[in-house]
Amino acid sequence: MKIQHYIGASFISTCLAVSAASAADSEFLVSTEWLENNLESEDLVVFEVSVNPGVYERGHIPGAVNVSWHTDLVDTVNRDIVSQENFQSLLRDAGVSEGDTIVLYGDTNNWFSAWGAWVFDIYDVANVKLLDGGRNKWEAEGRTLTPIAPTPDAGDITIASVNSELRAFLPDVLAAAKNEADVDVVDIRSADEYTGKIFAPPGVQELAVRAGHVPGAVNVPWGEAVAEDGTFKSVEELRQVYANVGINGDKPIITYCRIGERSSHTWFALSKLLGYDVSNYDGSWTEYGNAVGVPVANLSGTVWGGQ
Amino acid sequence: MSNFQSDRVGRISFPPARQWLFPLLVVAGVVLFAKWVIAPSDSGHLEMSLWLGVSFGALLQRSRFCFYCVSRDFFERRDAAGLLGIVAALAVGLVGYHFIFGAFMPVPRADRLPPGAHIGPISWVLVVGAFTFGIGMSLARSCVSALFYRLGEGMATAPIGLLGVIVGFALGFASWNTLYLQAIQSAPVIWLPHYLGYEGALWLQLVVLASVALVLAWRHQIMPASNTTMWWRKRWPTWAGGLLIGALAALAYLRVGPFGVTAEIGSLARTGADTFGWLPTRLEGLDTFRGCATVIKETLWSNNGLFVIGVTLGAFASALSAGDVVFKKPSFKELTRTFAGGVLMGWGAMVALGCTVGTLLSGIMASALSGWVFAVFCMAGLYLGWRIQYRG
Repeated sequence: MKIQHYIGASFISTCLAVSAASAADSEFLVSTEWLENNLESEDLVVFEVSVNPGVYERGHIPGAVNVSWHTDLVDTVNRDIVSQENFQSLLRDAGVSEGDTIVLYGDTNNWFSAWGAWVFDIYDVANVKLLDGGRNKWEAEGRTLTPIAPTPDAGDITIASVNSELRAFLPDVLAAAKNEADVDVVDIRSADEYTGKIFAPPGVQELAVRAGHVPGAVNVPWGEAVAEDGTFKSVEELRQVYANVGINGDKPIITYCRIGERSSHTWFALSKLLGYDVSNYDGSWTEYGNAVGVPVANLSGTVWGGQ
Repeated sequence: MSNFQSDRVGRISFPPARQWLFPLLVVAGVVLFAKWVIAPSDSGHLEMSLWLGVSFGALLQRSRFCFYCVSRDFFERRDAAGLLGIVAALAVGLVGYHFIFGAFMPVPRADRLPPGAHIGPISWVLVVGAFTFGIGMSLARSCVSALFYRLGEGMATAPIGLLGVIVGFALGFASWNTLYLQAIQSAPVIWLPHYLGYEGALWLQLVVLASVALVLAWRHQIMPASNTTMWWRKRWPTWAGGLLIGALAALAYLRVGPFGVTAEIGSLARTGADTFGWLPTRLEGLDTFRGCATVIKETLWSNNGLFVIGVTLGAFASALSAGDVVFKKPSFKELTRTFAGGVLMGWGAMVALGCTVGTLLSGIMASALSGWVFAVFCMAGLYLGWRIQYRG
């Protein structure tokens, strides 16, 4: 009797989970409600990728594993993303096995978790989704947080391939700047960074020698892609936002920002939600604006930061 | 009713019926300030920081948790009760922090430090900074945290001491780049759980604290005099305050961050000196270290600013209720001595990235070797300063 009751209950909860899953906006996004209903699922691994220290530790979504963007997702020797080997052990330590569903979320409007999603995609990990609205929305809705970090059993996922197509390098961007390649370039920084009025937003350490943007790039600040509550706009609205500046997916697209993390957010919107062919330039302005012999479009006439 | 005893010394004490009224008014004032002024712009932990400060200040005042005073009791009269209170705070805080560490980071991975914990670099600069801080304490007759809480008791030299701390901080910033390039940049940041695990670090330090307590108890000669006034009006034993302060420190770390009292004052100094162009355009590496972090101020209210305001207000309310508010007109000599002590403490706290609260208390609780180094050399400086001034 008891066992039947249990089976019945788990059947109902599975149905609920499935119906909630279908309510998620797309195969690449999950809603806060869906995540809360599915936290107990065995095949789900949740990662928090926040940039502010202490945010994860003082309270995260129950069961979520911490990913330190500064060390876990980059190579600490080369200026590069995390190596295939280290990425595999990161995922295995977090308990990721083949066939698991992975949900990423983070602070500051999911910028760094979108960067994480981009790295997951480069390493061809399947079933990776973003929590729509990120940590801000979860908090705003008053959902549960815990300071207790999980200790997962190791998983068995194998990272077999690397998809470099998702990544743009300086020569790719340079070809676009010189009109040698037929691609659209989207600069997602603020208007003042784009025009060259400022070299970088206040307070950041990583700067460029020159201010301005890649010639030919259009400026669509990342925030254009989100609604007031931090969730992505609908597919139709997104299509319109980019169509307004002449980007409609008929050409390959390169996104960039200052260090490549906010542009991952736009990369996610364009490639995952709109299905366009997009690569993210993770060198971004800290590489381009410091490179020698590259053309710079500067609408403000600033040349050097000092006199 | 106020009862001023002479033109140099005045004590505020109220008849029993009214002794609760004025402290309650102070607390009511804090509530209004928190709800009307702070809450509307609070997107983080401003209000909580204010209340943590009020609680910390009341505990400091009630149990006379003053690093200088309790050390001097021991030096002069072999009364170790106060120092034992600090040991009690460290032991409770140490256990509390390690409970939290285990939740935040189940494994003390070699490439990570627990978030925000005050684990500083260890070099001769820390040694000199701590020693200088100790000398400064002996001159000011107070450490920085006690300046904040004794301000609430009407200590007339406290403002001039705090002014000295700001000046000392500015001097610290001016000397930072040289010290950083000479020593701090290559200094090791040693977190004991990296070497001993959580349990090993906890046991080792508890054993050290127990040994210190045994030595103090062995040298202890005076039993505290019994006091017949009602329980609230007499001071709490420092160990009682220490136990509560240790617990409060761990709770604060869980929700906001480690205790510290110099971040805001250092930020004021940094902002002021920067405005006047007295600082190098870049303070190398400063913002990458753990400790009482200073920033160029961009917002009026900060967690640490409200925390120290809370300390003074909490101590004020507590002192009013117990009749401990005493005004004494300071002499010129006392003012200059306190100012000079403040300058030394400010410089020491700046280069050591914190003071007796931020580096010593919050550091040792977090298993930072830098906390122990600070404790040893600060105490050495304080003892030397005291000996020179009192023993000639």
